[in-house]
This record gives sequence, C-alpha cells and structure tokens, in this order.
Amino acid sequence: MKLTYILRRLLYSAAAFGTSVIITFFLLHLMPGDYITQYLEQIYAIAPPEVVQMYNQAYGLDRPLTEQFFTYFSGVFHGDWGYSLSYSRPVLEVISEKLFWTLVILLPATFLSIIVGIVIGAYSGWKRGSKVDLALLNGMIFLRAIPSYWLALMILLIFSYYLGIFPLGGYVSLSALDTGIDPIDVLNHAALPIFTLFLFSVTGIYYLMRNSILMTVGEDYIVTARAKGLDELTILRKHAMKNAMLPMVTSVALQCAGMITGSIFVETIFSWPGLGMLTFEALKIRDLPLLQGILLMDTLIVIIANIAADLIYPLIDPRVEVGEDVRK
Amino acid sequence: MSGNNLSFYLSFGVVLIYAAFALFAPIIAPFDPFMISGAPLASPDATHLLGTNDLAQDIFSRLIWGTRATLFLGIVGALISVTLGTVIGIVSGYYGGMVDEIIMRFLDVVMTIPFFPLLLVLTIFFRPGIYTSAVLMGILGSIQGVRIIRSQVLSLAVADFVVATKALGARGSYIMARHILPGILPLVGVKFVFSAQHFMLIGIGLGFLGMGDPGVVDWGQMINRASQNGGVILGLWWWLFPPGLAVTFLSLALAWFGYACEDRINPRIQMMRV
Repeated sequence: MKLTYILRRLLYSAAAFGTSVIITFFLLHLMPGDYITQYLEQIYAIAPPEVVQMYNQAYGLDRPLTEQFFTYFSGVFHGDWGYSLSYSRPVLEVISEKLFWTLVILLPATFLSIIVGIVIGAYSGWKRGSKVDLALLNGMIFLRAIPSYWLALMILLIFSYYLGIFPLGGYVSLSALDTGIDPIDVLNHAALPIFTLFLFSVTGIYYLMRNSILMTVGEDYIVTARAKGLDELTILRKHAMKNAMLPMVTSVALQCAGMITGSIFVETIFSWPGLGMLTFEALKIRDLPLLQGILLMDTLIVIIANIAADLIYPLIDPRVEVGEDVRK
Repeated sequence: MSGNNLSFYLSFGVVLIYAAFALFAPIIAPFDPFMISGAPLASPDATHLLGTNDLAQDIFSRLIWGTRATLFLGIVGALISVTLGTVIGIVSGYYGGMVDEIIMRFLDVVMTIPFFPLLLVLTIFFRPGIYTSAVLMGILGSIQGVRIIRSQVLSLAVADFVVATKALGARGSYIMARHILPGILPLVGVKFVFSAQHFMLIGIGLGFLGMGDPGVVDWGQMINRASQNGGVILGLWWWLFPPGLAVTFLSLALAWFGYACEDRINPRIQMMRV
C-alpha cells in the first residue's frame, strides 16, 4: 500500500512535470510567425535576416523539430533549461538566483498566515455565531474579494507614499553599494511584500480552519471532554484543534499555486527581485526561454509542496500511514 | 433570514448597475475612450469628470467602457468553465469505471501545473486578446469544477429514481440531461457566480501584467498605465483609484451574491457559516 502509493505519486508528479516540459517546448517552437524576428524587432526595432539566422543557429532553432525536442527534453533533466535571451545567461542560473529572493518573502508570509489563520479560524469556529466570529468571518470575506494587485497597490500607497514608513520598492537601499547588504535593511524592504502576501493567503487558511473546527464541534469526544469537566480552552486546544488540523496539511499544499500567483503581483508592485517580478519582466520583453523555465520551476514548487504534505501527514496523525488517501 | 434576503437583492442590484453601465456605455460615456480629448494629465473638472490620462484620454469614459471588458471576461470565462465542468463532471460521475478513471487521472496530472503561470504562457502563445483570455480561462478553470460536480453526481447516479429510469430502458444521455442535470443545477448556478468573480479578477490581473487586449479598454490596463506612467509618483488619485475601486466593489458584490445564493440552495451551509 505504502510503496505503491508513493510510486503512484511520483508517477503523477513526473507526468505533470513532463507535461509542462512539453507545453513549454511547443510554446517556443510552434509560435505563429518567426519568434526571433519578432523579439529583435521589439527590442532593437530592426531584425536583419543574417542576425536572425545567427540567433536561430545559436539556439538550435534551425534543426529538425524532433531533434530539438529530444535535446530540450533530456537537457531539462540534466539541469540545462535553455538560455535566456534578455539576461544572456543560462535560464536555470537566473531562476535559482531569483528563487532565493522569492523564498525570502514567501516562506515568512506562508508561516505567518498558517499560524494566524489557524488560531483565529479555530477561535472563530469555536465561538460560532458570536459577535467576534461574525466580525472575523465578514472581515475575511471582504478581504478575500479584494484583488491582490489592488491590495498591494493600496498598501504601497498608504505605508510608503503617504506615511513614508517603508521604502517604495526594491530589496535594499542604495547605501548597500557602499556598506554591503544589511539584513535589517532587507527586512525593512521585505516587510510590506510579506504583509501583503500574508493578507492574501490568510483568508483561505482561516476559512478551512473554521470549517474544520465546525465539523468537530458535534463529535462525541468533545462532549466527553466537556463531561469530564475540562475547561473550554483545554478542550479546544487538546481535543478539537488536534483533529481539525489534519485536513489543513493537504489544503495548505493546494494553496501553494495561489501563493505563486500572488507573488507575481506582489513582487511586481513592490519591485521585489524574485521569481514573480522575473515573470513580469519575461512577459514584457517576450523572453520565451526564460518564461519556459519559470513555468517549469513553478510546477516543481507545487509538486514538492504536495509531496511534502504527503510525508508530513503521518507525522501529525499516527493513525494514517503514508499513502492512505486522506481526502476520501 | 431577512438579512440574507437583503444581501441577496442588494448585491444583485449592484451587479445589475454595473451591467447597465456596460450595456449603455456609448450613451453614458461623454468621449470615445481612445480619443485625445483635451490636455494630458488634466485634473478632474466639469468636462472630464475624472481628468485625463497621459495620452489625454478621458478617464471617466474609459472607466465606463472598461466595464464591458470586465464583465465579458468574467461571464464568458465562467460560462465556458461551468459548461465544460458540468458536462465532463456528469459524464465522469455517471458512467464511472474506466471513463471516470481516465478523466480523473488526467485531471490529477494537469492540476499540478499552476493555473496562473500556465495561463500567462498560453496567452503569449495565442497572443493576448479578450476572446483568447476568456476561452483560455474557461478551459483551464473548468478542472476544479469537474471534481465538485462529479462528487455530487456520484451520489445521484445511484439514487433510486435514476436506477428505476435506467431499468425502464432510458438512454444514458436522456438520464443525464433530464434526471441528473436538474439535481445539480443549483450548485452549477452558485459555481457560475463565483467563477465569474474569479475570472473577472484574473482577467483584470492579465491586463495589469500587460497581457490584456490592446484594442480593448479594461480596468487592468488602466491600473497598469496609472501605476507605471506616473499616477502613483505624481499622486494623481483620480487616475489610479477609479478602476481599482470599480473592480473591488464589483468583486465584493459578486462574492456576496454568491454567498447569498449558496445559503438559498443549502440552508445547512448557512448554519455552518453562522
């Protein structure tokens, strides 16, 4: 059971990754019109045929399609993800550099939203129907309906433009040129992007946790705990929350794709030099090899998050062995 | 219960007002949205209710015309995704077995690829355009709907009245259309409202990232222009705020409308939420 499940999971992951490799390959090669000509015309306004030919030769675009496909396909698994047109560097190198900065804001935002979402979600569900619960619930519905890009712009305007508490963008001050990168300075720049991403993802976690608690409220073991004379807080912490936490693990992994979307907007608006802003730049100048690599990396992040959730699950619920389908 | 009714009609009213703006845009808007209508970057006054942008286009007129693209993206995207999701979900849930297995395993694989980056890549491939965006969002967005519909159909497919109809010799297509579909229609309706809200936000997000239709006015491109070309730095709130507030209010109205519909079809959800 255990082994077959893990194998099946790996098979899906490989299939998903393979599918994105195929999609990205066709993106570059079946694009209507001559891509290199379009790219050069857009950047330099002219595209002399001999230059186009040199580019095509350098990128191997003049080879037969099947040969290109197998070169690309095997290259991806050997760490060769192509060559960025705008950066003139290997795609994987550019992406790994930017991935670090994305994680700098993504990880704290995710942890914060998980902790806060679980705590207020549990409280809200436990006190269902109370004034606090209704206020929290409506507040979260409100927050969820605000588009992430608008939320980010407003936060930037209020805290950086009008109040001037935080910098307008970037990841370090200009003084870093003389003194080197100062972690406190980076934190100062990261605060608003982290806060925005946190607001963006906390609503989903709050919802799930609240629902999850509502499901456990009527269970027999809660009634038993109450009959034993335990105080409410202990019942919530030791009995209700422990069980309500279980469905959260899978859901948090599913939220991962949403966080990637959020980071594209948040990083673009705060000029944070991560994978999200790289996506925006690659879109703007139509750097397709780079865009290919970004999609592959995004898929890889989701795959890793899912596998991690599968492995964590048995740790917090000893009843479940790795491989049981917990979503049933 | 009356509070629920109130939010139902109120939110629906707001959506209708937006729809009216979209429908009567040529009558309401004083200028052509692409026309040079005076001095660039003018402050709001009697002729230009919300001033002009850096290309001297009337912002108020663009805001009104932008309602069209926004509603179009939301509604057409939702129509496609809900239709696809419902049809595939019903077929998959009703027949079960091999058909179901193949469809679900296929979706498992596709679901792992993150929706929005994939949408961006496909938009570039097919060239940014309002029809392209709506269709792509609809197709990619239907995946989640398939699972929800399918799980509902699974229980319906073994219900006594379905089994009895089958015993009478009714064809599968007849049972699915006349007996299964009506049972899940309310759910489909709610899904439609939430999808419309979702796709509207994504469509505007595309415009914001420069993946909008260059021949169409949409709020995303307006926000993008305002924030990239000096709206923020110069503090021109009448340039940046109107499209952002317009989309936020519409999104809120649709969300409330969705929740109100959900409460109507399923009183249990209301109990759970309150």
